[in-house]
Amino acid sequence: MRRSAAPLLLLLLPATLLALPHVLPRFHTYVASIVLLTALLATSLNLAIGYTGLYQFGHAVFYGVGAYGTALMLTRSGMPAPIAFLVGPLAAAALSLAMGVICIRLSKLYFGMLQISLGSLVWAVVYRWYSFTGGDDGIHGIPLPDAIASTKGAYYFTLAVTALCVFAMYRIVRSPFGKVIQGVRDNPVRAAAIGVDVKLHQLASLVIAGFFGGVAGSLFVVVESSVFPDMMFWTFSLEVLIMCLLGGMYTFFGPFVGASAIVLLRVFASVHTRYWGLILGTILTLVIILLPDGVLGVFVRRSVPKETPGA
Amino acid sequence: MRKITWFSAVVLSMFCIAGSGVAGDTIKVGFVDTYSGPATTFTNDVLDGFKMAAEKINAKGGVLGKKITWVTRDDKFKPDIGLTMAKELILSENVDLLVGTINSATALAVSDLCRKEKVPFLVTFSKSDKITGSMGHRYVFGMNENTEMAGRATARALAKRKFVKYWIAGDDYEYGHAIANGVFDHLKTLNPKVELLGQSWWKVGETDFTPYITQILAAKPDFVIVATGGGGMVNFQKAAQSTGFNRKVPFYQHTAIELSTLMPQGKNAPEGVYGTANYLFYYPDTKENKAFVEEFRKAYNRYPKSGALYGYMTAEFIAKSFEKAGKVDREKFIDAMEGMTLPSPVGPMEMRACDHQVTLPMFFGVTKTSAQYDFLIAGDIVSVPGKDYMPSCAEVAKARAK
Amino acid sequence: MDFAANLFSAGTLSQILVGLSRTTILFIVSSGMSLILGVLRIPNVAHGSLYMIGAFAAWSVIQFLGGGLFAFLAAMIVAPLIVAAVGFVLERGFFSYLYEREHLMLLLLTFAFMLILGDLVKIVWGPEYRSVTVPAFFQGSAEIFGLPLPWYNLFLLLVGPCIAVFLWLVINRTNFGKIARAAAVDGEMVGAVGINTGWIFAFTFVLGSFLAGLGGALIAPMVNISLGMDHTLIMETFLIVIIGGLGNMWGALLGSLIFGLTQSLGILVWPQFGIAFPYLAVVAVLVVRPRGLLRSTW
Repeated sequence: MRRSAAPLLLLLLPATLLALPHVLPRFHTYVASIVLLTALLATSLNLAIGYTGLYQFGHAVFYGVGAYGTALMLTRSGMPAPIAFLVGPLAAAALSLAMGVICIRLSKLYFGMLQISLGSLVWAVVYRWYSFTGGDDGIHGIPLPDAIASTKGAYYFTLAVTALCVFAMYRIVRSPFGKVIQGVRDNPVRAAAIGVDVKLHQLASLVIAGFFGGVAGSLFVVVESSVFPDMMFWTFSLEVLIMCLLGGMYTFFGPFVGASAIVLLRVFASVHTRYWGLILGTILTLVIILLPDGVLGVFVRRSVPKETPGA
Repeated sequence: MRKITWFSAVVLSMFCIAGSGVAGDTIKVGFVDTYSGPATTFTNDVLDGFKMAAEKINAKGGVLGKKITWVTRDDKFKPDIGLTMAKELILSENVDLLVGTINSATALAVSDLCRKEKVPFLVTFSKSDKITGSMGHRYVFGMNENTEMAGRATARALAKRKFVKYWIAGDDYEYGHAIANGVFDHLKTLNPKVELLGQSWWKVGETDFTPYITQILAAKPDFVIVATGGGGMVNFQKAAQSTGFNRKVPFYQHTAIELSTLMPQGKNAPEGVYGTANYLFYYPDTKENKAFVEEFRKAYNRYPKSGALYGYMTAEFIAKSFEKAGKVDREKFIDAMEGMTLPSPVGPMEMRACDHQVTLPMFFGVTKTSAQYDFLIAGDIVSVPGKDYMPSCAEVAKARAK
Repeated sequence: MDFAANLFSAGTLSQILVGLSRTTILFIVSSGMSLILGVLRIPNVAHGSLYMIGAFAAWSVIQFLGGGLFAFLAAMIVAPLIVAAVGFVLERGFFSYLYEREHLMLLLLTFAFMLILGDLVKIVWGPEYRSVTVPAFFQGSAEIFGLPLPWYNLFLLLVGPCIAVFLWLVINRTNFGKIARAAAVDGEMVGAVGINTGWIFAFTFVLGSFLAGLGGALIAPMVNISLGMDHTLIMETFLIVIIGGLGNMWGALLGSLIFGLTQSLGILVWPQFGIAFPYLAVVAVLVVRPRGLLRSTW
């Protein structure tokens, strides 16, 4: 982002976001909540893809596990809500670590496909384990604390958590750790040569991405008070990936823009036409042709070297 | 900077284009259903059946002097989109009530939403027995059969026959297991001699059943309960026809005798397949059914399938309930609909007050060729009246209490 | 279930034959994907859409020609050609300008095409189920060890190796094949030597599309032709291509064999979870041989 734009946005944006529920009708507030948590999800994915260069094709499974973890805690254990909201993301992070350890030996496309395969196995377990997870019916009517159960309450909670997490990720990306993983992304061989433990950094990045993906899942529980196995299916992983690519995966706020665009398009285009796919597909095609690095990529000169064939 | 402002402006304006629903001099019905993908063939019938009835009612002056209008939203067979669309219909379009959807998970989620928002929700096509069973409540109504009902009806029909060794096979998702368990568990209570030799479950959308078929044949059961749904119905029947499975071992599928399953296959559908269905355009051969079929064909140039019956009766129940209530009030609407019995193409249909489940007959038959049509129809039809195969009010109350 | 007895019965051989016929469709569609991914480096998510168009196009051709063996055989040729034409339009109209982009951005483009093509199919053919009947010549089944194997499956068993041989000839014995393989490894160099890679890439994409369409046309008599077919095969296809080795025809064949056989044999071992076996096989392969079983082009 260019320097001059930042301070202006820093003032306008929070004010708009805080005032939103009082200005817009209930449905739009609800949609705004969905936009925020999806943007959080996309940003978390970008940590793995844009900043670490890993082909994270199965990210939805962390979102789903975060959501199911929280949902199961809220419906089955007697634990208070705050603990439930922590269990989800922690479970997602743990899964991310476990899957990461298996997948990290592979690179690029192979990493992605193995991740999808493992993710599909998790999905299959959730889908079939009807007695525990509700199977393909999902879980509904999840009890939530009164303060966050209403549309407005859910929105403010989502806003607060999203802001906090996005801020945390921003700091991580700007920190020395963040610089190292970008170095690993650009040239793993050189990074290793100067003594960086490449695999360790990639794993750390995966766990963080998984954790915040899980947080987004927990937020979904708050906004919809339901969970579904579709949340962790590979087609949703692909959608989130598309959001990052659309918005620009080499910028921090790119995924935010991409997620907003796709969620808003999906909701409001569906309202007016049956051929939502055609419209979204056409828009995406135009973006790719005209904006090679995604929407926000236009503002950031890409300093990443192109891959050489045969590498 | 300019690009960002432009982009933000576009985004914000999208917020404003949303539906401008203002409820006024109409009764507004919101449809949230799947209008893309393979389920569309069923849901189009529901909508068309509804439209036919609604247009007729509107032509006669409407309900309480108001016309029935409807809006549709596509949930793409995804529960999260379904929930969003349901919220949009309730909050933005201000519909008076919701109708939908063929996806059971979505139906359950929307049902929960309607309970919180106190909006009546009439469920069409979803077959999960939880909708009016364990997860039922005041604001949800079931407008068609569910897996529990289909299971009981079939068990009654099969219990009298001489099959002892059973095999269960089907699509590996909740619907498949619910149908299979529904049939077999009740069968076992009615006829304790039956035994289960084994089970085979394939992924939803499976296209090659030959490995499963050979395995089942090797086990030599007397009868196979095949729990497929949606597209799996035709896929399995095709495999049965080409391997001769239907001639080697009798098998049953819920909706095997329905038009949606038999018509696409033309004269090549397998014969001798047992099935159940809630609507057959050629049976019963009553005045009401014939008139319904005639009207539907004239309007849409095709034969009505089960969905058309559900959609048509949904419109009828909506209209008559508002009339009885005397005003467009949701709570009075619910009170009025409870216990109401209306005539239908398949005979009188009652909306049971204790669980908001509609009572309708189930037809059990066997596929056979017909000289009159280019597709197979059902023969040896046995009609099981609704009250004989529905769970009792006491059982439902117990399920909901858990 | 006594699985040891099951494993060594005549049923096993029958299951193997069935698994092999299933391999044919998987192989045909995957080889197309492997070509496109291996040579052009495009992860083509729209490959499933091309497969679906192949099935619908086959239906249309058979409807137009009134059914029967001739209509069926004509459809097997015309439908893939239609899909190849679609592929040509996509390649010349879009991909040819974008090869320099990030792979992931190309993925985004193919995703967009998947959305567009899906809705186009809905517009052209409508939402109702279509069905193609197996021509009378292939109806019924043969008795293999007392268990039925449909004639159509046997037909597929023959078609598979024919396509494999044909592809091998194209890739190894024609100039096009040699150049395509070279271009897959080092496109710049090929261009520097004076060869017009543009047409090579176009033809590769067209061939890949043709194969996807052929897969769709071949499976049409066995299934319910419906919207949503574009999603069913795509995951399996990607996994097969990955475990087989990108751009490697024999790899696609090997991967398809693994997929087809692990599932049909898995059912014998553990009927309830047969569906998990191919995925477990994929995980096993990738853990042991991370770059796929056979040599890949990148």
